[in-house]
Amino acid sequence: MRASTYFIRYWQLYALLVLPLIYFAIFKYGPMYGIQIAFKEFNFFQGIHGSEWIGFDAFREVFQNQEFYKTLRNTLMLNFLDLLVSFPAPLFLAIMLYELKSKAFRKVSQTILYVPHFISWVIIGGIVYQVFGTQSGMINNMITALGFDAVPFLTEKTHWLFTYLATGVWQSAGWGTILYLAALTGINGELFEAADMDGANRLQRIWYITLPSLKTTIVTLLIINLGHIMTIGFERPYVIGNLAVRDYSDVLSTFVYRVGMESGQYTLATVVGLFQAVVGLIFVLGANYASKKLADESIL
Amino acid sequence: MERRMGKTSKKMLAVTAGFAVLMSACSNAAPNEGAEGAASGEQERTTLKVEVFDRGNAPAGMSIDNNYLTNYVKSSFSDTSGIDVQYVPIPRSEEIQKLNVLMASADDVPDIVFTYDSGTYYRYATQGGLTDVTELLDEYGPNLKAFLGEDTLKYGQIDGQQLAIPGRRLVLGRYASYVRQDWLDKVGLPVPQTTDELYEALKAFKAQDPGGLGDKMIPLGMSMAPAQYESLLWSFVEPLTEEQRYTLTQKLGSSDYPVLLPGFKDGLQFMNKLYNEGLISKDFALDEDKKQIWQDVQNGLVGAYSEDAGELFFGYNSTYKNMQTNVSGATFTPIDPYTDAEGKHAKPGYAPNAMYIMIPKSSERAVEAIKYLDWMASEDHLFFMQNGVEGENYALEDGIPVLDAEAPQDVQDRLYNYGDMAIIVNGKFIGEPQQNSEAYIRQVPKEYHELMRTSVDISNVDKIDQIVMPRPIESESKYGNALAEKYKELIVKTTMAAPDKFESTYESIMKEYMAGGGQAILDERKTVYGEMR
Repeated sequence: MRASTYFIRYWQLYALLVLPLIYFAIFKYGPMYGIQIAFKEFNFFQGIHGSEWIGFDAFREVFQNQEFYKTLRNTLMLNFLDLLVSFPAPLFLAIMLYELKSKAFRKVSQTILYVPHFISWVIIGGIVYQVFGTQSGMINNMITALGFDAVPFLTEKTHWLFTYLATGVWQSAGWGTILYLAALTGINGELFEAADMDGANRLQRIWYITLPSLKTTIVTLLIINLGHIMTIGFERPYVIGNLAVRDYSDVLSTFVYRVGMESGQYTLATVVGLFQAVVGLIFVLGANYASKKLADESIL
Repeated sequence: MERRMGKTSKKMLAVTAGFAVLMSACSNAAPNEGAEGAASGEQERTTLKVEVFDRGNAPAGMSIDNNYLTNYVKSSFSDTSGIDVQYVPIPRSEEIQKLNVLMASADDVPDIVFTYDSGTYYRYATQGGLTDVTELLDEYGPNLKAFLGEDTLKYGQIDGQQLAIPGRRLVLGRYASYVRQDWLDKVGLPVPQTTDELYEALKAFKAQDPGGLGDKMIPLGMSMAPAQYESLLWSFVEPLTEEQRYTLTQKLGSSDYPVLLPGFKDGLQFMNKLYNEGLISKDFALDEDKKQIWQDVQNGLVGAYSEDAGELFFGYNSTYKNMQTNVSGATFTPIDPYTDAEGKHAKPGYAPNAMYIMIPKSSERAVEAIKYLDWMASEDHLFFMQNGVEGENYALEDGIPVLDAEAPQDVQDRLYNYGDMAIIVNGKFIGEPQQNSEAYIRQVPKEYHELMRTSVDISNVDKIDQIVMPRPIESESKYGNALAEKYKELIVKTTMAAPDKFESTYESIMKEYMAGGGQAILDERKTVYGEMR
C-alpha cells in the first residue's frame, strides 16, 4: 500500500494524534525558545530577545557556586536513595496484593493504599510535623512517655533522611502498584496451575513466574526513573525539609526557586535547568543502552 | 470524597454557567444604551490597573477586586476623574515571584505595583524598568508629596531620580517581650530587667515547673520568625563606630542584618546555651511563620517570649485572649530584658518607609497612577479607607477613631482589606505622630490598651535605626534572598549544635555565608563608604 493511500484510509487515527502533538509543540518544544536565557544577561524589561548575549559567563558563575554542588549532591543522593527504597516498594506491594486470596480484601486495601497519592505535599508536610515533631510530635510523645529520649526525626539530618524516604514510600507506593497490577493480570493462569502440579511453593511461583513476567515493566520504569535522577520535585524536599537539615534537604529545585524566582536571577536558574536536562538525557540514554545490552529490553 | 466534591462543583459550574447565559440573554439590549448616554457626556474613560495583595480572606459576598473599598474608589475617584481602577490580585505569600513574572511580561503588568523587598525594587530600578516620577509628582501629586515628606521620599530615589514612591510607615518600633506574671509569682522572682535576670527566670521556670506542665513546658518561646530572635541577638552587638555601622551591616531584603557585627556571635552562643539547657523548644527551627509558637502561647506552655510589639493583643490574632481563656489566671507582663554592653535595650526598628510603590516603564498610565495616589493622600480619603463611616464603623475618642468591635459583622467586613488598599501608608494615619501612635494602640480591644501602650513604649526604647546607604548596594539585591536563608540556617545550626561543636559549626556556615555573597556585600559597602567620606 502506498503511503498516501494508507494515510487517507486511516486519517482518523492521525487526527487523534494531532492533539498530543500540539501539546508537545506548545508545552515542550515552544518553551525551548527560552533556553537562550542561559546565554544572556536576562533583563526583565528588554525581554528574552532584547537581552544581551554573555556566552558561558553564567555557566561559569554556577559552576563556581558551592551551593550548587551541595544541592546537586543532595539531589543525586535523595533520588538515589529513593530509587533504592521507593522503587522496589510498589513492586513488593503489588506482588503481595496479587497473592491475596480474598478479592474484597484486596480491593479495599488497594483503595486505602491509593489515598496518600491524592494528598498534596503541603498537607502531608503538616501531618509529618504533627507526627514526627521532637517537642510535641505524636511518636515522640509516646517515646518520651516510655522513658526514652526524644528522637529528632525532623531536625537531625540522618534521621530526617529516614523521615523523607518513609513519607515518600507512604505517599507513592500504593499508586505505583497500578502498572504492576495491570501487568500481572496479563499472566496466563495456566502457568501457575502447572507450577502447582510440579510442587512449586508460593515463593518459587513468585520467583519463577510472577517476577519474570514483570521484567519488561520493571525495566521500563527503571529507565524512566533514571531519567529523572537529576530532577527532583520541588514540593517534597521543600515541604518536608527545614532549616536544621538544609545540608540534605536543599536540592536543585529549591535552589532554582531561591535563585530564580525569589532573587529574580533567571539566567542562573535557566543554566541549572539546562544542566539538569542534559545530564538527565545522558542518564536515560545510558540506562537504555545498558538494559539493551544486559537484558535485551529497551524503550527506544 | 475528593471525587464527590469534584462532581458537585462541576454541577455548580454548569448551573452557574447556565444562569449566566440566561442573564446575559435577557439583559443584552439594555446596558448599551445606558453606556452610550454616559460616555457622551464625559471625557474619555481610561483604565488604571493597580496591584493588590490577595490574602484569601475576603468575607462572604466580597472579593478582593470587588468590595466595599473598591466601590468607594469607584464612587469617590473614578466617577469624578474618569479613571476606572482595575485591581490585579497577587497572592501575598508569593508576591515577589508573581511580580517578577508580571514585570517580565510587559503587557500584563499593572500600572501600579509594589513590594516591601528593597532588593527587588533595586533590581527593577537598575534594569531600567521603572518610570522616573520626579516631574509627575510635582505636577500631579502635590498632596501625595506633602503627605509623604522628603524623609520618606528619599528611600525611593536613585541618582536623583524618583523611581519608587515609598509608602510612609507610622509605627517605627518593632519588638517587645513578654513574661508570664503568674509563673514569676509562683517561683518568687521579680520581673526580669536584664538578660541575666531573664535567664534566671527561665531556669527557675524549668526547674520548678510553675505551670505543672512537665515536658510540655517551653520556658522561652522561640521560632524562626524574626520577631522571636531579633531582640535577643541584636542585644549582644557591641558598641559600633560609624564606619562599622555602615560597612559591617548587611541589608538583606528589607531589613538590616547583624551577622558581621562584633558581638553577634556571642548572641548565637547564648542561643546555643538556652537550647542545650532545654530552655527553648526543640522544634523552633520548624516554625517559620509563628503558627506553632502562637499555639504554644495560647495553650499556656510558654514562659516568656519576644514578639512584634502588641501583636498578641490584636483581634485578628487573639493569642492573649485565648491564653487567658485556656489557662485561668495566666497573665503576661510586657518586658524589655535584653541588655547590651552599655546597659541599653537596643533592638531594631523599622525604617520610616513602607512599601516601594512603582510604576513600570511600560505603563502608559503613569499620570493616572499618580492621580490615583494623590487622590488617596488628599482630603479625608485615606481616613475613610482606614476607618469607614463614623457612628457605624468607629467613634471618635479624644480625636482618635476607635473601631466599634460590636458593629455588625457586615459593617466590620467593609474594612477587612484596608491595609492592602491604603498603600501609601503603613499604620493608621490621623495626623501628629502622637495621635498616630495612639490610633495604633486603640486598635486592640479596650481591656488591652494599657498592655498595648507599654508594649509600644518598649518597642521604641533605644531603637536601632536602619542604615540608609547613599546608593543601593548591588550585591545585596543579587544575593540578599539567598543570604537571608543562609542567615537563618546559621542561627538554627549554631543554636542546635552540641556546645563543643558550636565553634566549628559557626565557622563552616560563616564560610558559606561569606562565599555566597557576604564578602561581596562587605566589599561593596566598604567602597561606597569610602566614597561617602
